[in-house]
Amino acid sequence: MAAGAVGKKEGGLPRWTGYLIKPIFLGLACLALYLWVGTLELDSIEQRTLNAENITARFIEHLQIAGYASAAVVVLAVTAGVLLTRPFARHVEPYLVNVANIGQGVPSIGVLALLAIFYGLGFYPTLAALVAYSFLPVLRNTMVGLRQVDRFVIESARGMGMTKTAVLFRIELPLAVPIMLAGIRTALVITIGTATLATFIGAGGLGALIETGITLNRTPVLIVGAALTAVLALFIDWLAGVAEDVLRPKGLQ
Amino acid sequence: MTENGSVSNSASESMIRLENLTKTFPAQDEPAVEELSMEIPEGEIVVLVGPSGCGKTTTMKMINRIIEPTSGRIFLEGEDVTKGNPDKLRRRIGYVIQQIGLFPHKTIADNIATVPKMLGWDKERISKRVEELLETVGMDVSYRERFPKELSGGQRQRIGVARAMAADPPVLLMDEPFGAIDPITRDRLQNEFLRLQQEIKKTIIFVTHDIDEAIKMGDRIAILRQKSVIAQYDTPERILTDPADDFVEDFVGSGASIKRLSLSQVRDIETTDWPVTNLSDGPDAARAKLQDSGREHVLLLDKRRHPKRWVSRDDLEAGKDLEKAGWPAVAVVEDSSSLYYTLDTMITSYKGAAIVVDDDGAYLGVVDFDTVLEAINTMRPPEGERLQDAEEEEVTP
Repeated sequence: MAAGAVGKKEGGLPRWTGYLIKPIFLGLACLALYLWVGTLELDSIEQRTLNAENITARFIEHLQIAGYASAAVVVLAVTAGVLLTRPFARHVEPYLVNVANIGQGVPSIGVLALLAIFYGLGFYPTLAALVAYSFLPVLRNTMVGLRQVDRFVIESARGMGMTKTAVLFRIELPLAVPIMLAGIRTALVITIGTATLATFIGAGGLGALIETGITLNRTPVLIVGAALTAVLALFIDWLAGVAEDVLRPKGLQ
Repeated sequence: MTENGSVSNSASESMIRLENLTKTFPAQDEPAVEELSMEIPEGEIVVLVGPSGCGKTTTMKMINRIIEPTSGRIFLEGEDVTKGNPDKLRRRIGYVIQQIGLFPHKTIADNIATVPKMLGWDKERISKRVEELLETVGMDVSYRERFPKELSGGQRQRIGVARAMAADPPVLLMDEPFGAIDPITRDRLQNEFLRLQQEIKKTIIFVTHDIDEAIKMGDRIAILRQKSVIAQYDTPERILTDPADDFVEDFVGSGASIKRLSLSQVRDIETTDWPVTNLSDGPDAARAKLQDSGREHVLLLDKRRHPKRWVSRDDLEAGKDLEKAGWPAVAVVEDSSSLYYTLDTMITSYKGAAIVVDDDGAYLGVVDFDTVLEAINTMRPPEGERLQDAEEEEVTP
């Protein structure tokens, strides 16, 4: 295996070929799942859930919930991370980070249930719960990423007459990108997984398949829902990994 | 400038003037810098030196307001810059720190171009300037597209200096710029920087805790005690020969006389006349020269007048090939070398003399121990007399 990898490199294959392995594997997994379902004799309930139309609809719902939640988390948590690392936030920072800790500390189904009680069922409570749940990794990594920037790099930038805003956008954030992206990657995977719970407060998603499978005791439906969620999570993780490599500033490792 | 344009004429001599500068850090009773006033003349290297914690770095950082003074005023080129936009002020002042702080995610060219970009120079002008600066600090233009992590410590330091000079500011602040570099590279960078300064004639505030570096680099030295109180602000010569008080004397430490040698260059003292001849002129010419001079050895030069070999009378008598006779010309120093270095070269090469050459390596003359000793004696009559007096007193009873 190792020798094969080395041989490939020496053979002159471009570096990006390494990136193809995981998506090919995920594609094969989907194909296997499809072929396996095809061998089964489906009853009426299974036929109603395991058809292209239904699965696509659930899949899109899932992506929407997770996508909006992730976008909101990135915007909110990165902003919060930047603000909390500014000197004026020195005194409030520990308290606010604790609040974010609570968001992740409480079990996600609990957050979901609480939000549903207060705000009713549907899309927005789900979104809020997912944001609360995946906020911390992004916030924490943004703060760590900004804090690990060499203070002498910042001092020399300020000493040359760069404004604070210029230092933030041209020096601190670019240098924090690798660590921030690692946090965002974690948050994305958490969100895809947790979004399966959306079905319990009526927002659909791939969780609906899992729930149907459990409550009506239809194992194939359960397996398809679970497998698709896993494939999606792994695929998003792969995408984020590629982004980490592409967006890491040149000059850093 | 507008407000005190009339003053500017008389103040044109001093590039920077500090007036009763005081800094008290929050939650501290004692000020770190107390009522400091000093003038920094244009085109000179002024070294702030003192024990750690004396406030020298704080003082320097108040000049570009990285640290805002609690009270007092700062004048740059006659203009009061204590208030007003600090970012704009800093673009007029080059800044080099010990850790250098190059931007790791930017290329060398982008690093150097930082201030010119902020000042809105066009691309072509920036690109030209970057090339010019790389040359100035003795680095190949091919380094433009490299990243800082690919450079050695000494190279990073050069880029740090190039970056600080990018927009040609009249003033440079340097905080222990050579502090984190190995001694050999440091010595070379110091020499290069001094040579560079002869061309650029910037006003430079240089902070160090190393008195030897201060003596070497400074046109003037301010020795600071606690709270940045000036113990003595004077030329290196005066500080070494005439310390203001015990504190300065202690700080300068032992070996003040030896340290003085690093202040004079070989070109300042008279070289001894020595018989020289061209290798190509043959042994007869060499013999004739030797005869006239009454010396024991003749120095042979090549066509470019580079010193090649020392040859003695006996070697010439023996009729050896001139290319191989005698011994190679070692202990060669450039005329810009310090007497300290010259003496050191003589001692390490076990020769009683050093050959002085110009920048191109062409022969200028020879200095021996006696010449150096003589130079030392003429340099410092006050202490010579004192020494003699003391000896006489001891002898009389």
